[in-house]
Amino acid sequence: MAPSTTIADPQPSSTTDSSNSNAAAAENDIRPFFVLHKASSGKKSTGTVRAKRRIDSPAPKLAKKSEIESTEVEDGEYFSTLRLKVFETVWSKIDKTIQDVLRDSHSKVFSGVHDWICESFESIRSCGALSLSEAVRSYPVLSQPSSKQLFTALVLTRNLEMVDDLLTFEDLGLHLKSQGCHVGKLSSMDFSTKNGVGGCLRGLLRQFVMPTVDVADVTILASWYRENGNHNNPVVIIVDDTERCSGSVLSELILILSEWAVKVPVFLIMGVSTAHDAPRKILSANALQRICATRFTLSSPAERMDAVLEAVFLKPCSGFTVSHKVALYMRSYFLSQDGTLTSFVKTLKIACLQHFSLEPLSIMLEHFCQDNQPPGEGTGLLTEATMKHAFDLPSVTRNKITRSTCEMLPQFLLDLQRMPKPWSIVVLCIYEAGKFDKIRLIDVFCETLDPEARYLKYFSPSASLNSQSHVSGRNSVIRRVLRKLRDFSPAQLSSLLKSWESLTAEFSEISDKVMELHPLMRNVEAAGQRPGLPSSPKKHASRSHSKLEKELKAMTDKVSAIIEFMLREYMKPVETVPFNEILCYKNVDKLQSALLGDPRGRIQSDLLESYNILHCMCCSQRGTSLLPSMHDTSILYTLAQEHADVINLHDWYQSFKTILIPRNSKAKLKSKTCSKSKKRKDRCEEPEPEQPAEASIQARFCRAVMELQIAGLIRMPSKRRPDYVQRVAFGS
Amino acid sequence: MEDIDNIEEDEYGFSRNYFLAKELGGSSKKSARKLSDINIVDEQELRETAFNIETKHEKEIDEILDDYKTKYPKWVFELRCGFGLLMYGFGSKKALIEDFASSSLTEYSVVVINGYLPSVNLKQVLLAIAELLSELLKSRRKSSGTPAKGQEALPSRSIDDILSFLHGSQSEDKDCFICVVVHNIDGPALRDSESQQTLAQLASCSHIRIIASIDHVNAPLLWDKKMVHKQFNWLWHHVPTFAPYKVEGVFFPLVLAQGSTAQTAKTAAIVLQSLTPNAQNVFKILADYQLSHPDEDGMPTEELYSASRERFFVSSQVTLNSHLMEFKDHELVKTKRNSDGQECLNIPLSPDALKQLLLDLSQ
Repeated sequence: MAPSTTIADPQPSSTTDSSNSNAAAAENDIRPFFVLHKASSGKKSTGTVRAKRRIDSPAPKLAKKSEIESTEVEDGEYFSTLRLKVFETVWSKIDKTIQDVLRDSHSKVFSGVHDWICESFESIRSCGALSLSEAVRSYPVLSQPSSKQLFTALVLTRNLEMVDDLLTFEDLGLHLKSQGCHVGKLSSMDFSTKNGVGGCLRGLLRQFVMPTVDVADVTILASWYRENGNHNNPVVIIVDDTERCSGSVLSELILILSEWAVKVPVFLIMGVSTAHDAPRKILSANALQRICATRFTLSSPAERMDAVLEAVFLKPCSGFTVSHKVALYMRSYFLSQDGTLTSFVKTLKIACLQHFSLEPLSIMLEHFCQDNQPPGEGTGLLTEATMKHAFDLPSVTRNKITRSTCEMLPQFLLDLQRMPKPWSIVVLCIYEAGKFDKIRLIDVFCETLDPEARYLKYFSPSASLNSQSHVSGRNSVIRRVLRKLRDFSPAQLSSLLKSWESLTAEFSEISDKVMELHPLMRNVEAAGQRPGLPSSPKKHASRSHSKLEKELKAMTDKVSAIIEFMLREYMKPVETVPFNEILCYKNVDKLQSALLGDPRGRIQSDLLESYNILHCMCCSQRGTSLLPSMHDTSILYTLAQEHADVINLHDWYQSFKTILIPRNSKAKLKSKTCSKSKKRKDRCEEPEPEQPAEASIQARFCRAVMELQIAGLIRMPSKRRPDYVQRVAFGS
Repeated sequence: MEDIDNIEEDEYGFSRNYFLAKELGGSSKKSARKLSDINIVDEQELRETAFNIETKHEKEIDEILDDYKTKYPKWVFELRCGFGLLMYGFGSKKALIEDFASSSLTEYSVVVINGYLPSVNLKQVLLAIAELLSELLKSRRKSSGTPAKGQEALPSRSIDDILSFLHGSQSEDKDCFICVVVHNIDGPALRDSESQQTLAQLASCSHIRIIASIDHVNAPLLWDKKMVHKQFNWLWHHVPTFAPYKVEGVFFPLVLAQGSTAQTAKTAAIVLQSLTPNAQNVFKILADYQLSHPDEDGMPTEELYSASRERFFVSSQVTLNSHLMEFKDHELVKTKRNSDGQECLNIPLSPDALKQLLLDLSQ
């Protein structure tokens, strides 16, 4: 192994061993790989030091490490370990919740698949048991057409991106295995034309028979199936990404397996992400005839996301939550950019991580996580410094809470812990009412997090009249729900009532109000039960109908009054509560930049606005003109902006040179002849001292071009176009 | 809504810029001046000067790097939470990342991959990592007192075997991992999808964390969603340094240099050193032939085959072809037909450069 080395310091170092380390570093630079260092054996002891100092900055500056007392370093160490521990507790709780939600959302399909396998397996077995010798022979060929059918389940994933469903199929495999099936998994990698059908069979045999099998013979599978009671259970093969498989290889496998369908009852489960007719596009006609397909449909990513959202933020989970802006960003990222639950979960994880690395008080979340422990105990963690930080939080100063109310802190924290409950009940109640209008939970969630929303204006009598004037409320989900309420049928109202009842069961203040609706509901039902009435409340046909109409109106008025009550009393978004910074992550910019790098835009803006990053005195006041003191590559790329999609190297070089040569000699360079005389002068090495030599300008030009090439911003001259480079990027 | 508008605006800006540039190219007359109009200095001098260019704003660059040092604890925290770090922004990030690794990651073993080199043998890298990991797990087990399981034997068969070994190695301690630094994960040696898949699989091992840098604006196109979200698990960091691309640029030609003998001889030596001894020997035969037959177009392929076979450097035409493919990929060898119509192999280097190369190789 390579010896550990010191890194070449960007600063010229004056120590004696610098030449040695530089040589070693230079050697490492051209090695494909090397071991920089091995783990130091002695870990610093952590967890025993109590913090006694200010920790409002979560990241003590390493740059000044030597100046910081050792206790401070240990403090940082202690808190970083603690932070990691709490992060792990919180995230594992969220992660487990998400896994459970996903498993629940698929459980119906999973058990459906299992039932289908059981039924089909029975029907195959009923054809008659085979003796061992019969079963492993490929002849006689079975003549009945029905015996050559391969039972196939098409699992529609309703999402073109496979990434969400990798885990689903893994879970499906585990589920079926737990039910006793023999499960094998193949992916599109196994169905390559290079390896042919032999590759798939080998893969299957390795999974079923033993991992060292290196032949592709289906009779091995057949004889294995007859051994040790294996034949009491069906064989299941899962192919998760059917569309990416080679169609010919998959067809061939289907033909082979269908020939053996009676001897080895194989059930093929194919994940289909496009449309239900995908097999028709991939498989050959022969293979299509052999499959006997049944369809299963998974829930869509948006449905799954709503379920995850409900479980993580609206049901008691970890206590961690996000601000209105972060929620809006997460929604727009999901809807307009990615559309996969995987990335949604990743966004959530990054938000959680950044919450812990940015907010020192976040470690108190540990106490919110544990249901039976009052969060007040978390104050034990608070040192003088954190206390100061806590009382400097915007939510605290805004509410005019001062340190004199210090003893109230446990009470505030208790409030903070209890607060989300009624709020989330209200959110879920509104969501229930909106379900009939296909409103998404994420929309309700985003809107109700808004700390500046004024919902009550939707209830004022003028709201319905000049609804157009409420620009801010035009897209409001709550307003949509309220309007839709008037069109509810008695059946819908009754089911809404039932769901509200179960949602508010543990919260008597709202639940009492909901109970008051029951007599009204009975009136509606009584009015609706008269014969010959249409179910729609909109038609004004008869007198009895107008009675129903009246009852319905009374009912919906009451429902809307309850919504108003809930919004008025309990709609306190988390951001309005003091000390919410402990729970709530707010920094949307940091989240965005960590989640989605934008190399295309950022690298170009680095170059075009280099002074913003370098903060140098010499270039910051340049205005629009280019200065010779600027970074070479930056000058060259700025010059490139003036060119068309191809850049003449000669012109580019000349303008580069014009920038580098100080102003007084610039005039001479305007015409080509002058520039030539200038060059001659340069080569004689007699220019004024500050003027760079020709060789230096050329070398700098070459390096700047090379750096642009590394950044992928230009394409080098081709044989066909030796004097031009091509611009590749146009704006971000 | 706001975001969508922004995106649309960006896209509009992009297409507008593109068409403006196209229009500019069409309407105004293209400048027809030649590169040769510039009085280009001697190539050797150009290279020497290029090597010794003084870095502008050195002080500011140091300040930037110092500023990034305050982020080191945050980066360590992110690694410990299971994310991979992806550094981007203009300027070489090599010194920055290695400084971070050697000052803040002392508790973890660190392996560095130089992706900017023209060829990197990932299998060797994986083997080295696997060795480190099994060593690490062994020492952890010893200290925690649990008996070692019989999985320490390192497989040396295929990349898949090594990867499954890495995936199979489990330890209770979540905070026990090896950091793999990949300079230029978008570099020429790693740009193919196979390498990226291998790296992604490596990154998804529970005991591996990746810290990588990219320089190319289109680097994200290398990865699909599974790789980004599930395997690499990137956290992006915009860390422009404006430091010169000294090492990274060695393998790029200078735009003003026409023939590039010295440079390619040096790069050729580096490429050849990463190949197998047999491949190097085949190359030597070819080079010797070219030096002794300076007037010919090159060595006929059949002749190279019989010469290599005689000395047991290749066993079949297939192995020879795979060596030749490797040479051609790195532009060490060019094929052309001679006057008899035979396919000939030719090393595009001057005799002097070739001699120097042979000397380097035999050391």
